[in-house]
This record gives sequence, structure tokens and C-alpha cells, in this order.
Amino acid sequence: MSIAQVKRIAISDSPWPWLLPLVALLVVFTVYPLIYNIWLSFHEFVPKQRVLKYVGMANWIQLVNDGRFWGALGVTFLYFFIALTVEIILGMSVAILLDAELPGFAALRAILSMTLVIPPAIAGMMFLLMEDSQFGVLSYFLGQLGLLDKSTPILGTSSLALLGVLVAEIWQWTPFMVLIFMAGLRSLPAEPYEAASIDGASSFQMFRRLTLPMMSRVIAVAVLLRGIDLFRVFDYVFVMTSGGPGTSTYTVSLYAWQQTFSFLKWGYGATLSLTSLVIVMVMANLFIRVAKVRW
Amino acid sequence: MKESDRKSYLASVTDRFVRGQMDRRAFLRATSKLGLGAAALGMGMGSRPFMLNKAVAQEEMQPSAEVMAWLKEVGKPFAGTTLKFATESTPPSNAINSQLKKYFEEATGIKVEIEVLPLEQVLQKMTLDVASSLGTYDLYYIDQSWAASFSQDVFDPREQIKAKADLAMPNYNIDDFLPALVDGISKYQDRWVGVPYDIPIFIMIYRRDIYEKLGLKAPATFEELYTNSATITKEMGPDTFGYAGQMKSGHYALECEWTSMLWGHGGSIFNADKTFVGNDERGIAALDYYTKLKDIMPPGVNQWTWDGQGQAVAQGVAASMLSWGEFFPFFDDPTQTKVSGLCEAVIPPQPIALRKAEECGYGEIPGVGHQGGSSLAVSRYSKNPDAAWLFMQWATCADTQALVTTLGGGTGPTRASVYDDPRVKSHARVGAGTTRHLPVVRETIDKYMGSEPDLPEWAQISSDTIPVALGKYFSGSYGSSKEALDDIGTGIAAVLKG
Amino acid sequence: MHQSKLIRTVRTIAGWLVVGAFFFPIYFWTSVAFRDSKDIFNWPPIIFNFQPTMRNFEQVFGISFGFARQDAVAPGGGNFYMAPRLWDSIVVASMSTVLAITVATFASYALSRMNFRGRHQFVNWVLSTRMMPPVAVAIPMFFIFKQFNLLDTYIGVILIHGLMNLPLAVLLLKSFFDDIPAEIDESALLDGASRWTIFRRVVLPMAKGGIAATAVLCFIFSWTEFLFVLTLTQTGLKTVPVVSSTFVTSIGTAWGNMAALGAAAIVPAFFVVLLVQRHLVRGLTMGSLKQ
Repeated sequence: MSIAQVKRIAISDSPWPWLLPLVALLVVFTVYPLIYNIWLSFHEFVPKQRVLKYVGMANWIQLVNDGRFWGALGVTFLYFFIALTVEIILGMSVAILLDAELPGFAALRAILSMTLVIPPAIAGMMFLLMEDSQFGVLSYFLGQLGLLDKSTPILGTSSLALLGVLVAEIWQWTPFMVLIFMAGLRSLPAEPYEAASIDGASSFQMFRRLTLPMMSRVIAVAVLLRGIDLFRVFDYVFVMTSGGPGTSTYTVSLYAWQQTFSFLKWGYGATLSLTSLVIVMVMANLFIRVAKVRW
Repeated sequence: MKESDRKSYLASVTDRFVRGQMDRRAFLRATSKLGLGAAALGMGMGSRPFMLNKAVAQEEMQPSAEVMAWLKEVGKPFAGTTLKFATESTPPSNAINSQLKKYFEEATGIKVEIEVLPLEQVLQKMTLDVASSLGTYDLYYIDQSWAASFSQDVFDPREQIKAKADLAMPNYNIDDFLPALVDGISKYQDRWVGVPYDIPIFIMIYRRDIYEKLGLKAPATFEELYTNSATITKEMGPDTFGYAGQMKSGHYALECEWTSMLWGHGGSIFNADKTFVGNDERGIAALDYYTKLKDIMPPGVNQWTWDGQGQAVAQGVAASMLSWGEFFPFFDDPTQTKVSGLCEAVIPPQPIALRKAEECGYGEIPGVGHQGGSSLAVSRYSKNPDAAWLFMQWATCADTQALVTTLGGGTGPTRASVYDDPRVKSHARVGAGTTRHLPVVRETIDKYMGSEPDLPEWAQISSDTIPVALGKYFSGSYGSSKEALDDIGTGIAAVLKG
Repeated sequence: MHQSKLIRTVRTIAGWLVVGAFFFPIYFWTSVAFRDSKDIFNWPPIIFNFQPTMRNFEQVFGISFGFARQDAVAPGGGNFYMAPRLWDSIVVASMSTVLAITVATFASYALSRMNFRGRHQFVNWVLSTRMMPPVAVAIPMFFIFKQFNLLDTYIGVILIHGLMNLPLAVLLLKSFFDDIPAEIDESALLDGASRWTIFRRVVLPMAKGGIAATAVLCFIFSWTEFLFVLTLTQTGLKTVPVVSSTFVTSIGTAWGNMAALGAAAIVPAFFVVLLVQRHLVRGLTMGSLKQ
């Protein structure tokens, strides 16, 4: 057999036996819910009779005219972009900082990943306690630094509440970024850096000209994975502010949750979820195009 | 502290120490506050033999032999059955789940599995259960605001008693349930949607020591509540404030407190035509009062549900609250709070005016004692309705309620006789799990109880429409209280239209 | 690159400070587990100087640590005995990880080694299954589970958690496989080995690190998942995030107990992280280098 023949066999092998379990599971458990939700978005649950009544386009019309939804969408985007930006920048910085064999750094890298094993709802409770203006240790530190007055509750002030929630979000998920970026950093070849160093390049130049381009793929994967989840996260908001004060931290996922679980508006909840799904899909595909990710 | 109070506090601390409910260090710490210390330790150790008293205490907590004998007899055919019950995390459910159900299981051979969930999850699970007529839960925990929705899905206990004479518990005495609770929690139209199971209710709790120091008297009216609280905040702030609220934006807690203010000013949520009238003159006066009161509360009160409110009083940050009476036993626990023995419970302040229930819609009953009670009922879809009925009778009989009340940290019983039970009364001393506030709870139930309207959309209105708009209002997004209330009216109309 | 001593010192200190800042909330939360509530709520907040108590752990795990056994009832009226739920969490997280990894390994190998039309779109589709908000999946899932008698069973929860992690696992594993040079497969094929043999004997061992890394992430996501367990279980099993909501009672939150369970729940999960820590860095490394 020639190498060319082997290559052809290798390529022409049918992938489907290998993919079958995956496809089967995904079809049963994700395609069905999708179809169900599309169907559901044209119906509404009537609590008294306990039936799903056909309502036509009513849910979709309501969505378009729902000021609450558009407000929540704005908050969601704000949350999304701030969290993602900070997590990437901070994650990259910490990854670079810790990417060295200095005393105790191996332990530090392990400790950092501890934040990930705490359920987000519990992390939300932690920060709720720590940001309380009367008892919270974080509020106290900020007060000592002169940044915050005790009379300004973080989570009770419209302009600060979202930041308060983002602290929990960023605290928990920056280490996730560090983990992925660190792996990327460790795999970079040493030669280009040595050459650049001989040419007298500064550390910043090396970072911009070498590290960033070589890491672009890793960054793209991290952005995709975290970005998708960010759009669905609601635990922190739910636990810490219930979307308040007013609607200043009210997100689409919290809205969908409340419609579905608290108010039993399954139809409208499905409509909200589908909308959020479409938005994420569009954004992810745009990103995949722009970042030229090829699977 | 007055001499008599000191004695009662000492007695209760010693009592706890002797029962082994308190370790030596905590005991010494508590008594040293009274200037006693080691002397009291000697008293606890010496005068009453340690082991013996612990045994006595245990025996006191046993269920009545009569009830157990009946369960053993009547439960025979059901041995091996498993019952499922979904409930909110409330004192009776937790006490039954962790301490008491073992007695029921031993006697009958019926296994009881209790699923403890946040309130809205209970609603969701029950809805899925009835929507698919699954019958996975044998017993339903029905919040007062769901009575209308689930009235057709459960057995009326009165019918059960008649229909199944052989399974009826002797001396169950269904007439023992406080009539106000039956009306306010369990009754929907002519049906009983289960029996009253739990009754958290607003009472007035205040720090007697602070009030005495400043020469104040317990607030008898809403006006006094404000002036007293303002005085305290002025004299003792910013370390101690006169009042703490439960004002978290977008949370049911805010709606609860607001209703008590609204009712206390003669307003109501709906009128007899089922239209929102919380924005009438009285409604505006109530919200203006609430705003005024908030100004003298600790900053940050709008991040608190009843949990933060309770902690504020427990840790000495606030001197009073009009809130769930169930907190009171916690305040008296010297290991958990800084105010053990210092709090006093009285009936809520008298309303400035009070609207009659007939003038309101959807079964709303104005009253300053806001209630958040719930019923226990057997599901129509249960596959073991008879076993479930046995459990329900046992869980709500006088003997079990007395145990729940003493074990569950002084939660309000729903039966008249339990308030007079000697076991319950014997806990009416300062200390963890006290029942000394119960006479006030009972009086509030009898005379001042307020109940929220009862309609399927209420879950959304009470935990979203109202508290979100109020949260907006308190963070300054509305021009005036009227504007905020009008907006609530619009929101409610939209929800009702569907 | 050689760094001066000063830079190394500064960097060491900075590293410790940054990780210290991230660690502080965990320390604080763990310390709350050892406090009575009067030591939790103070101004200024107490950070180190409190009277440690084991009561919260005694209540949550139903064991006595030799301190005076607390017979009285915790706030909320119950002893929140939760030890079995920790076991439920461990079973669910580890089994669902096994499921996700097994299915994803096969699929990713094919996606990495076999060219077929629409592969790019296929991967995008797999990724998109993670985009559906869990709220929307929960209710149809409830009805499916009811149909197949999977409600309130280990198998049901393991299945849904495994499923939830598939897109993540496929994506990561595919990139790890991509990094193993295809020439290795080809030369083995030349020697007459079958696809299956190559997969099992050659590729799989080489991707061990990457698989471990992916597994740990799957484990973490299952460990912290809330909504599916909430909707699809009743009394048969519950995982830590869901039972934690029990501590939010109608008469206030049992902070100490909640912290005790939370702190205890860090231990097994962190142990898993440590086990694969070395693979984690090495594994992800291999996966990332591919342009």
C-alpha cells in the first residue's frame, strides 16, 4: 500500500459509527426540548385548568412590546461585556504572573482553581454576606480604603448593584480563564522569545507581537466557552439582588426563570429562552467568523 | 436588667446548660454577663444531677403514648408504604423531618420522605404534579396564596373524617384549629383546602432595654412606632437604629412589609370591584409613612429580606421590627445573638384606620398582623391517600404540634389547645426556643390578622410587580409615591389581563 | 530569559497577593462555618478573632466532635443533616463525567481524524446545544424523564449532567486530538492496524493529559449544577447546590450551617482537581497549540 492509499482510507472512513452515541444523545435530549420550546412559545399555561392553551403569536407580540424584556436585555449585554472583558484581561495578567517557577507558585495555581468548585448559588450567598453594608467584610475594607461610605450599600444602590454582582462573577470565573490561558502559555515555543530578546525587544513588545498572536486560538476558545455560559448565568443576580434595586440588575435569564418557575408562564418563559438562544447563536457564529475559528 | 429578669435569664441559661444544650464556655460567658460566672456553674452542676435532668428533658420530648398506640394499630395495613411530601423550609417541616417523623415511621412502618425546597420551587413542583396528574407527592404544602389554585386537587379534611371513620384519629378535634386561621389560610369558598399547618405572623418585637433607657413605651400606634424609632436613631445612631425593615427590591419580603403599612393606614390592595386601590389617599399616606420610616432605618436595609432584618435586631443594630414572630425564639438564643432576654414581643401597633374585608376583593383581609401561613393537605392524585391521611392527622394533631413548637423553636401553633399545653408553656422562659411570645402571637391571630388576596396571579404580583416597583421607588426612580403606586396599579392590571 | 532578583521578588510577592485576594473569600466563608451567628454579624466584621464552634458541622453531618452535643434545634427548626447529599454529589459528578468523557472521546476522535462534509457546521451544532438556557430544557426534560421513569433516579441525573457537558468535552477533546500528529495514525495504518486499535493503543494513551483536564472541568460543572437536579429529583437524591437552598428558611438563613456544607463540599471536588492538577496544565497545553 502506498502512503496515498492509506491516506485515502483514513479519510474515507465513515465517522458516523464514532459519532452515533453523541448524535443520538444530543437529538433526544436537545433537539426535542428545542422543538418543544418552539411549540410552547405559541401556547400558554393556564393555571386554573392546567392546560396549555394555543395563543398564536401572542407571546412573541408581547415580547416585542415588553419594556421589561428590552431593559433586561440591556443589562444582560452590559453584564456580558464587562464580565468577559475583565475576565479575559485579568485572567491573562494573572496567568502571565503565575507562569513562573517561583517559591510556592505551584501551590498558588492549585489554590486559585478552588473558586471553581463552589456552586455559583453559594458563591452568590458568600458575596451577599460580604457586601452587606452593615455586616459585610468587603464593605468594611472598602470603607477603610475610603472608597465607600457605610451609608452607600453596594447592592442597594442602583448605580453600584451590577458592579457588586460582577465582583462575584469575576471572582469565580477569572480562575477558569487563568487555567486555560496558563495552559496556552506553557505550550508556547521558546525560540521566538529568545530571538526577540536578542533583538532587544521589551517585555511588552514581546507580549504584543508574540504572545498575543500565538495565543489567539486559546483566547477564542475561552471566549466562546465562557461567553455562552455568561449569557445563561443567573445565580448571582438571583441570590444577591433579585434583579434590584428596581430592575437595575435584572437579566434575561432571570426573567425567563421567573416567568417559567415563579409565575408558571411556561409559554412566555419559552419565548424568552428561545430569544436568548437565538441571540447567543448569532453572536457565537459572528465571533467564529470574525475570529476565523475553523473546527 | 431588672432583678426579676436577671433571675429568669439565669434560670433559663442554667436550664440549658444542665440539659446539655449549651457548652460550659458559652454558659460561663452568658452568666458572667450577669456577674455570676463560676458561681452559677456550681449551681448548675451541684443542685441538679446532670444525667438525671438530661433524661427528664428527653422524656418530656416524647410523643404521647396514646397517639403512638393508635398509630401502631391503625397503621398496620400500610406498613411498607412510602409517602412523599414537598415543603418549604419552615420550622414545623424541619422539626418533623429531622426529629419527629421517626416516631411516626416506627409506629406505622410507613416511610415518609420530605423534600425541602425554596417556596417557589414547591409551587413549581406541585404544578407539574397536578398538571400531569402524576401523584408523585402524597401531601401538599399549600401556601395561603395558593388555596384557590389547588382547592380542587386535595381532599377536604372534614370529608375525610366523615368518609373514613376507621382511620379518624380519636380526639383529633378539627374544631381546635383557630377559626381565624381556617378562614385566612385554609378555606377557599366552602372547601377546606387542608388544615392550617404553619402560621408565621407579623408581631411587634422591640428591645426593652433600649426603650427603657430612653424612657419610651412599646409602640401602640404606627405614629408611636415612628416617633420611638426616630428617637432611638437620633440618640444611638449610627451604631443602633430604631427600626429595621425587610425591603429587598424585587423580593416578596418587601411586599409583606408594605402590605402591613398599607393596611395599617386603612388602605387595601383591592377594592370590592377587584380593582387595585393601593394608590388611593390612604395608600399614598402609607407609602409616605414607609418612606419616612426608611429614613431612620440602617442604610442598606434595601438589601435585606427578613433574614437581614432579623440579624439586624439579633446583633443589636436595630431596636425594633414589625415582622415574623418566628424570629423571636432565635433572638433569645444567647449563643446566636447579642440580645438574649432583651427583646419583648407585643401586638402590632394599632392601625390609623382599618378597611373592612367586605370592602376588599379576592378575599383580602386587612390587618396589621400580616400572616404567611400554609395548609397541609392530602393530594387527590396520591396513590396512598389513606396512609397520607394518617400522616396528615398525626402531623397536625395537638400532641405533635406541641412537640413541633417546643422543638421547632417556638413557631406559632395553629391549634388553640397547643397554646395552653404545659410543655409549650414550660418553655416560656428566656432562652433558645422560647415560647414566651406565643400569647402575643395568639392574640394577633385572633384579633389583628391580615391576609393577602387569593388569586392565581398573586404569585407574580406579590413577588414581582409590587416589590420591583417599590424597589425602584426606594432607589429614587420615581418622582413621587403616587407615581410609583400608579405604576403598580398599571402593572397589576396588565398581569390580571394576562 | 533571566530576570533580576528584584523582579523575581516583586513577582513572587505579587503572585501571593493576587492569589491571596482570590483566596480570602474562601477563607472567610470557611471561617463562617466555625462561627455562631453572633460572630458572623458584626461591625467591624470579625475576621480572625472569633470563638470557634463545631456546632454547624455537628448539625450538618450528624456527628459529635466531642463538644457539648447540641440537642436544641437550629434556627429553622431542624438539624440540617446533609451528609448523604455529599455522597449523592460525588456519585453524580463522577459518573456523569465518565459518561460525557466516553461519548465525547469517540466523537472527538472522529472529528479530529476524519474529514467529512459539514464537519465545521457539525461542531458548531454540537456547541450550540450548550446555548439553550437550562430553564427552557428543564420542563420538557421533566416530561421525558417521567415517560422513561428516570425522575428522581441517579441514572437520570447522571444522564442529564453527562449530556450538559458533552459540547464542552467534545470541543476540548477534539483540540487535544488535533495536537497529536496524524502521521502517527498513518504509520500505524501502514502496519496494518485497524482504526480501533490505533485509537485504543496509540491515540488514547497520548491524549491522557487532555482527557484528564476535560474530565476535571466536566466534574466541576456537574458538581455545581443547580437547575436540572432541582427539577428532576424529589427525595431520592439531591446534590449539594440544591440542598444548600434548604438553609434559606422561612425564618432566616442558617449561614453557619450553609457555610459548613459549602466548606465541606469544597474538599472532595478540590481533591479531584489536585489529582489531575499536573495533567491539567500539561493536558490543556497540548490542546491549545494549533493554528
